[in-house]
Amino acid sequence: MKNFSREKFKTGEEYSRALFFLSPFIFLFSISLFQVLNLTLFQGDKYQTIAESNRIYQKPINPVRGFIYDRKGTLLAENIVQSDLYVTPAYIEDSSKTISKLSNLLDMPYDLLEENFLRGAKKVKKFESFPLVKALNEEQNAKAKVNLDSIPGIEVKATLKRYVLHEETLAHVLGYVGDISSDEIRSDKLLAELQNIQIGKTGIEKEYDTILRGVPGIQTQERDVKGKLVRVLDTEGAQDGKDIYLTIDQKLQDHLFKLFENRKGALVALEPKTGLVRALISSPSFNPNILNSIVDANEVESLFSNKESPIFNRAVSGQYPPASTLKPFVGLAAIENEVISWDKKIKDDGEFYVEGDPRPYRGWKENGHGRVDMRKAIAESSDVYFYTIAYDLTLSGVRPMLESFGFGKKTGLTNFEANGLLPDKKWKLGYKGDFWFKGDTINLGIGQGYILATPLQLAMAYSGLANRGVIYQPQFIQPEDEKSFRPKKVSEIQLSNTKAWEKMEQALVDVISARNGTAHKIFDVNSVIIAGKTGTAQIKSILPGKEYDAIRENPILRDHALFVGYGPVEDPKLVVAVIIENGESGSEVAAPIVKSAINFYTGEFNAE
Amino acid sequence: MQNKPLSFSVDIRLNKRKNLLNFDYSIVLAVILLGLFGLAMIYSASGSFSLVLRQAIYFLLGVILMITAAISNFRKMEPIYLNAVWIGFFFLILVLVLPNSGTTNRWINLGFIGFQPSELMRFLLPISAAAYLTRNPQIKLSDWMIVLVTTLAAFILVFLQPDFGTSAIVLLSGIMPIILSGLPWKFIIYSFLGGIGILPFLWMSLMDYQKERIYTFLSPEADSLGSGWNIAQSKIAIGSGQFFGKGYMEGSQSQLDFIPESHTDFIFAVIVEEFGFLGALCLFLLYAFLIHRLLYVAKSSNSKFAKLVSATLSIILAAYITLNISMVVGIFPVVGMPLPFISQGGTALVVNMITIGIILSLRRTT
Repeated sequence: MKNFSREKFKTGEEYSRALFFLSPFIFLFSISLFQVLNLTLFQGDKYQTIAESNRIYQKPINPVRGFIYDRKGTLLAENIVQSDLYVTPAYIEDSSKTISKLSNLLDMPYDLLEENFLRGAKKVKKFESFPLVKALNEEQNAKAKVNLDSIPGIEVKATLKRYVLHEETLAHVLGYVGDISSDEIRSDKLLAELQNIQIGKTGIEKEYDTILRGVPGIQTQERDVKGKLVRVLDTEGAQDGKDIYLTIDQKLQDHLFKLFENRKGALVALEPKTGLVRALISSPSFNPNILNSIVDANEVESLFSNKESPIFNRAVSGQYPPASTLKPFVGLAAIENEVISWDKKIKDDGEFYVEGDPRPYRGWKENGHGRVDMRKAIAESSDVYFYTIAYDLTLSGVRPMLESFGFGKKTGLTNFEANGLLPDKKWKLGYKGDFWFKGDTINLGIGQGYILATPLQLAMAYSGLANRGVIYQPQFIQPEDEKSFRPKKVSEIQLSNTKAWEKMEQALVDVISARNGTAHKIFDVNSVIIAGKTGTAQIKSILPGKEYDAIRENPILRDHALFVGYGPVEDPKLVVAVIIENGESGSEVAAPIVKSAINFYTGEFNAE
Repeated sequence: MQNKPLSFSVDIRLNKRKNLLNFDYSIVLAVILLGLFGLAMIYSASGSFSLVLRQAIYFLLGVILMITAAISNFRKMEPIYLNAVWIGFFFLILVLVLPNSGTTNRWINLGFIGFQPSELMRFLLPISAAAYLTRNPQIKLSDWMIVLVTTLAAFILVFLQPDFGTSAIVLLSGIMPIILSGLPWKFIIYSFLGGIGILPFLWMSLMDYQKERIYTFLSPEADSLGSGWNIAQSKIAIGSGQFFGKGYMEGSQSQLDFIPESHTDFIFAVIVEEFGFLGALCLFLLYAFLIHRLLYVAKSSNSKFAKLVSATLSIILAAYITLNISMVVGIFPVVGMPLPFISQGGTALVVNMITIGIILSLRRTT
């Protein structure tokens, strides 16, 4: 046993054994060489592409969003620098230490920062950052910048955010901007190419988004593994968005918005001779800046869940019964169809009956207005007079006139408009499953029943009265030169006797100027002469035996107050439609706003 | 005839000098070429001149020690070789006893210089083993047993640091002399099967990060931003080098730090990215040539000691080269082994160069 090695082991076998034990390494060596061949030559192109994508970062350069001005060049919407504090979790060794440092530095509660940090850290990939604190105030921003170097993984990024100067006042006209949603990308594929850019969501911001937005540029950068910029390879500059000038008169808008005192309602004021919208209000309103740069999600949530729906644009999307403000159009239809003459009087004792129907159609005044002609019927807003002529006109007699004044169809001012509703027999059968009754026509005669109109449609219809039958396309974009501006006609109503326009206007002037006029309360010798009409829209029909006093105990069932008017009658400068929801009395709450609007604007106009 | 004594004496002196410098210059040339190339690649990978300077000092030290070892007479050195292993044990125990920061005890810091005792051991162990086994004309079974026990002791000490890769190398460096010196095949086969038998226990004793590395190797693409990220980035660097490479200092993966440990374990990826398949092929040929020349010593020497030492050290060197490259190209788990003569790291460089020097001296004295 001791000497077996000598017997069996031959000299030189060391070398062959060495080769034997080397063979697995030779094998692995060969495989490695083949793998290098495989990676470099067979898959080289693929890895080249991956290496390039590792190296190259396409940084979008956001264009500066265009500003929005009013007709006189008053700035309405601009961009402000917002500083956000970003963290990159990959560079933070001890998150609780970093958070407590930041908590002291920014004077913010530790728990809040920790919650934001944990939530954000879950969402990001390796070496990616996320905003920990949005919209730093000046003090926080200054402190953060000074102490940046002592806290690794922290940086302050400045971005431009939309800022609306007049906040609530213009919210519904301007709208707001926000991040691109996946739904929006689905409907507009081009949006997918935009990164971290805000687009218009509603209002002017949305309608003219492509003009305001501009075109983003791209900077091609070389970055290292930590995302640090090494060098810039190529820069393709952004094209900034263009500015927009609106027809809105900011002073008028501001003046009128204050008059609303946050009551629910809407206002549309436009120039009848051009269709240029000078003021548009929906109340209650909201501060678009809350949405332009979302800092507090709870604030946004409460805005959208608010029962008063401040985001909803009542001026163009709110649909209301026009009530007595519809009477001038019904009246013109009756004259045109020769159902009645200007001077013919009808006895109004407060009730109207249809043959074979015991149910009375009541007027708003208990014992009626006595014997009334058209002028008095408009001035005093006699319901029985209009029940009678509507009954005689029938639906087919009254509807074409209303249609030509624009009821029941969009005006084209914005994409967010409601249609309103101009009912006909087919509509009632389709939606209500019932035939059109004479009673429906009678209700239509005083603007109640099924008919609905937006405040914008009412303003447009009255501009037709002010212009003797011509209605111009309403618009928000201020023409470069108002004097040479040729507005587009959208409707031209021909009456067989053009005197009818003046007669109707006289009746509408009586509403305010005549002692018996329903809006005589606002009469004022210092005011320009205004033609207009009050309206009180019932939102709950009064059943027989029940009195309105019982209904009005519930504020949200109270009647809506309307007033639509224009002035000065000798040269109409402004037509204004106002609705105050549950305001009850058109003459008391809506008419003063219209009067104020026309006088304010005329004063401004004359001052120019 | 009168000249004869004179010429004889001159001849002796000439012979002596000639004998002294009679070693394989092609090996020296190959090693110096690799070392200089390594310095250039470390600069490209790290961009740090001070790092290159440090490595260059080690390189010079290595060259001096290599030449010194090469011109030494190994027969006179044998008593030293026989006991050299105790130096290794001394430092291996010292490194475990000394307080150390971090999770591993691998380094001995002498203030101005630091070195890894395990690197020293994987070179001292086979030399002592070979010296011990060849001290008598016949090898007894007890000789093999003693070498085996010594090897296992060294292995455990390195494993405890813990250093999985180097402990395996230490094991190999102690076992190779046993096997090469003529251990019967049946013992080899039984031990091999026994080794497989204790694998599960070995697995259980692995640290979590070591297990992680093996998992990562098995599915690197599963978590490309986690631990497999290193291998994925290394493969991207190699593949994107294509045939000619991107040029010296032009590799985006290495210059932008996408390659991890780019100046140490993953330096091969930097080489291929910047010099392409062509560069890799040259490097492969150079390494193959080097191992071939080193093995030739084992083949041509008529000294058993020389055969054992040169064969073992050649295999260890081949193992380093192969395991490092196969790890970087993604066909072997990440075990944390440097690429000989190229990767940044002073101890390994100096040890590898002394290894070459000793093999050179073995050749000369045959």
